[in-house]
This record gives sequence, C-alpha cells and structure tokens, in this order.
Amino acid sequence: MMINAHGLRKTFTTRSRKGSQTVEAVRGVDLEVQRGEIYGVLGPNGAGKTTTIRMLATLIAPDAGTATVAGHDLLKQPREIRRRLGYVSQAGGVDDMSTPRAQLLFAARLYGVADPAAAAEEVLKTFDLAELADRPGRTLSGGQKRRVSLALGLVHTPPLLFLDEPTTGLDPQNRANLWDRIRQLRDQGTTVLLSTHYLEEADALCDRLAIVDHGVVVAEGTPGTLKRELSGDVITLRLDDAARGAEVLRPYAKETRLDGELLRVYADDGEHALPSMLRTLEEHGLGLKSVALDRSTLDDVFLAKTGRSLRDTGAAA
Amino acid sequence: MIRDTLLFFRYEMAKTFRNPVWPLFGILQPVLYLLMFAPLTKGLVGGSEVEALRAFTPAALMMIAVFGSLFTGFGLIADLRNGSLERLAVSPAWRPALVLGRVLRDMVTLVVQALLVFAVAALMGLRVGPVELVLMLLLMAATGLFASSLSQGLALAVRDENGMSQTLNLFMLPVMLLAGLFIPIAFAPEWMQTIAPVNPLYHAAEAGRALFAGRLGDSEIPIAFGLFIALAALTTTWSVRSLRRIAG
Repeated sequence: MMINAHGLRKTFTTRSRKGSQTVEAVRGVDLEVQRGEIYGVLGPNGAGKTTTIRMLATLIAPDAGTATVAGHDLLKQPREIRRRLGYVSQAGGVDDMSTPRAQLLFAARLYGVADPAAAAEEVLKTFDLAELADRPGRTLSGGQKRRVSLALGLVHTPPLLFLDEPTTGLDPQNRANLWDRIRQLRDQGTTVLLSTHYLEEADALCDRLAIVDHGVVVAEGTPGTLKRELSGDVITLRLDDAARGAEVLRPYAKETRLDGELLRVYADDGEHALPSMLRTLEEHGLGLKSVALDRSTLDDVFLAKTGRSLRDTGAAA
Repeated sequence: MIRDTLLFFRYEMAKTFRNPVWPLFGILQPVLYLLMFAPLTKGLVGGSEVEALRAFTPAALMMIAVFGSLFTGFGLIADLRNGSLERLAVSPAWRPALVLGRVLRDMVTLVVQALLVFAVAALMGLRVGPVELVLMLLLMAATGLFASSLSQGLALAVRDENGMSQTLNLFMLPVMLLAGLFIPIAFAPEWMQTIAPVNPLYHAAEAGRALFAGRLGDSEIPIAFGLFIALAALTTTWSVRSLRRIAG
C-alpha cells in the first residue's frame, strides 16, 4: 500500500479583530491508496482536500492521526517520504523570474538526481516543453505553466505523485490533455493522489476515490460502485405537489429526494420504470411540468451522502 | 546542509544575473548621492571635497547595506504566492537553506555593490587603507545579514506586498535620519542626539566614519560589530523559524 492514513485531523486557528476563530479543516480522515492507482479526493471547496494532501506531503503536521506514506511513517520519517514524493500544489510552484530549465536543474540537484541535466531534458521532452525551456516563467500560458509544474514534480521520478486540483483553471482541451498524461504516469507505475472538485474529472480519471465534505470522508470506492450503490438512473420530475409524488412513486424507487418542487427518483432501470411512473402520476391526478432521465453521476452520490449538490456549492463542473 | 544552502544560493544568484539591471539600479542611488550630496555639503560644512566624501561614503555604504537588503523579502512573498516555496519545502532539502541561500545572495550582492560605490569614491579622490576597507566590508556584511533576514522573516510574517512596503516605509525615514546618514547627528537638536544611540544604525554609521577616517581604535567599531552580529543572529533565527508558516 502506498498511503495508509488513519484519523487525520487538523484544526486551524485564525486571529482577527473579532477574536480568534477555529476551523476544523480535517476531522478524522482515513485513506488507503494502493500502489499504481489514480486515487481521487473529490469534494467542494473548503472540504479539507488541500489540508489533507498537505498533511500527507509533510508540509503541515496533523493534530491527530497516523499515516504511512511510501512505506515511511509520516511523523517520524518525513525526510524519507519527501525523497519519494512529487508534489504539485494548487498554485503550481513555477517561479516567474526563472526559466523552466533552471528550475528543473535546481530541483533535480536538490533531490540528488545522478545526472540533473539528463533528468531535466527527459521531463522537458515528456511534457513538450523543449521549446519553452529557456523562457522566463512569467511568459508562459496557464496550460504551459501547468505542464512545467508537473515536470517539476516528476524530475526526480518519484513513485508517488500528489496533484492538488491539477486542472483548475484549464480549458477543456488542456484538461483532457492533462488527463492523458496522468494516465500515462499510472501506466508507468506511478501512484497518483489527486484532489478535485470536478465530478467529470473524478469519474473519468480516478481508479478509486474518496468523497469528502466538511473534513470527513462520506463515501469511498470506485466511481462505478459508488454510482451503482445508489442506483443506475435518476429521474428528475418537476411536480405541482412533489411531496405527494414522492409518496406514490415510492414503489419504483430505490430512493427519492425532494428539492423544492423537484423530485429525484433513483431507479435501477429508469427506461422501463418511467412509463409506469408517468401512468401512476396521472392516476393520482398529479400535474407534471417536466421530466428528465439521466444516468446517475457522482453528484447524485454526493447529494445522497451530504444532502447538497456539489454543483450548488459553487464548484460546478 | 551547506550543500543545500549553496544550491539555493547558486539558484538565487543565477536569477539575479538574469536581471542584473535591478541590483545596478540599487547602487545607482548611493552613487548619485555621492556625486551630488557630497559637493552640496562641502559648501555647508566647509572643508575639501575629499573630507566631505570621507564623511558621506560610509553613510552611503550603510544605506545600501540596510535599505537595499530590507526589500529583498518581496521575492519571498512572490515565491509564497506562486507556490514554489511550498514545492521546495517538501523537497528533501535542509529547510533553513530556503532562507539562508537568499540571505547569502544578498550579502554577496551587497559586497559587490559596496566595492562599486567605493570605486566611485576612489575616483573622486578618496583614499582608505586596506584594513579599514576590509573591516568596512565585514561590517556591511553583518548589517546586510541583519537586514536581509529581517526582510525574509517579515515577508513570511506579513505575506502581503502592500503590508510589507507600508511596514518598511514606516520605519525607514526615522531610522535613517536618526542614524545621521544624510546629515551628521552633530547638527541635530539635543533630544535627537540623546535618542540617536538607541538606533543601531547610528553606531554602524559612526563606526564606518571612524574606519574611513583611519581611527581604528575608535570604540564605535567594536560596538557596531557586536550590535550587528547579535542582531543578525536574532533575525536569522527568526526568519528560519518563520519557515514553519509556509503552508499557513
């Protein structure tokens, strides 16, 4: 196992004129990440994703809990972990005043890579940066900078890579491109732990994931099992009386959820259930304004576990 | 430890050499000061131009030692913001090297700047003995170490360019005037003369003047060295300890 974390906790105290305020950023997180998988931490902004990754990256000390990362104890052997870890923060870590090549050489030397120049050349090639290698960081575009930050995280070929919100702010094409590169890394045997608030990203990219909210893991598994656990399809109905609708449609549903005049019905086989559901509504004289049938997404899982939609938290994907 | 510090120093130095215009601008101020202020005060105080230079060159050197280095922390705020400090903090590098490499860069830059300013003064006719010059450079290195690590520590504490420049500006003028950098404190009213010795920079300026006047036995010299070595030790420790704040 690459990461084995138990009961990680972190509380921050911020002082302001109004007195000190404590924020429980992480309230007991357990994570088990297998060697060679892409593991996602999905959650809205402020769920504790970054704090969790920073703790596992030895950047901040947890208040409680234990963890083994890349075979070493988080609290007792941070240096051993740092040697084996590539860390790409949300900010990216690209120095505006220096060139990608200079930064890569410097990073390779810090990690004691045998041939820093060759290692820098290698990652420059992997991330199509050869032509940008000698331009100052400030002249690079967002997508180019992202590639430089990945190169910086990988120049010492670590077995474990942390990516904190790797595609935030990227356009769809650059995002897809980055997903391919992350998959290639996994195929070469690198374990990847990434955080994201994009549902599609977690679904498409991650082998397994943990859904976090308010500093705790609310669900854990492969995207497929998480969605199946809930049900295959979701039927969203706009009704005059959604509460009564929920009552009469209960026989068809694995689960129902009320949201104002919206009623979400989770069913294993939506295509076949839908005609009979409509008939039932008519028999009970319930006015129907609109209806939609969708495959259930991780957002439905999030909704089922937290009572809120990830899209409503302002982290729409 | 030393290897990591030198690696950081080398990287930072290479960065400085990519934009050598800025450190050159940094010494332009004291050079202009020498070229313009010394002739101006010659008329005020009387005496020859070399005498004026003897009084004002050490002040000009102390000015770049403190105020050049005090602003170097801005680079650290930029690196906090772009995440490179965070990235380097999770590397296996010796943590204090993150700050020490930068402080070392500032000290070396400072000595080079000082030699250039001194060269200008020499061209204008000022002569100083080699022992005095070396001692002056050492005193500047200690002053620079103090100011640079104070700046790095402040950057890590304030974490905001605006707040940092306001903080620095607040202290700069009184500290500068009370050190007698522009106008010797002997011209000041009595109350200013009384509080001037509280200002460590006053002692550095006085020690510099003693050195340039060839008074190696002046008591201000050991006082200034003692003060700034102690202060530098304090601020360096503080800035290294502040590195714990990298991740908020």
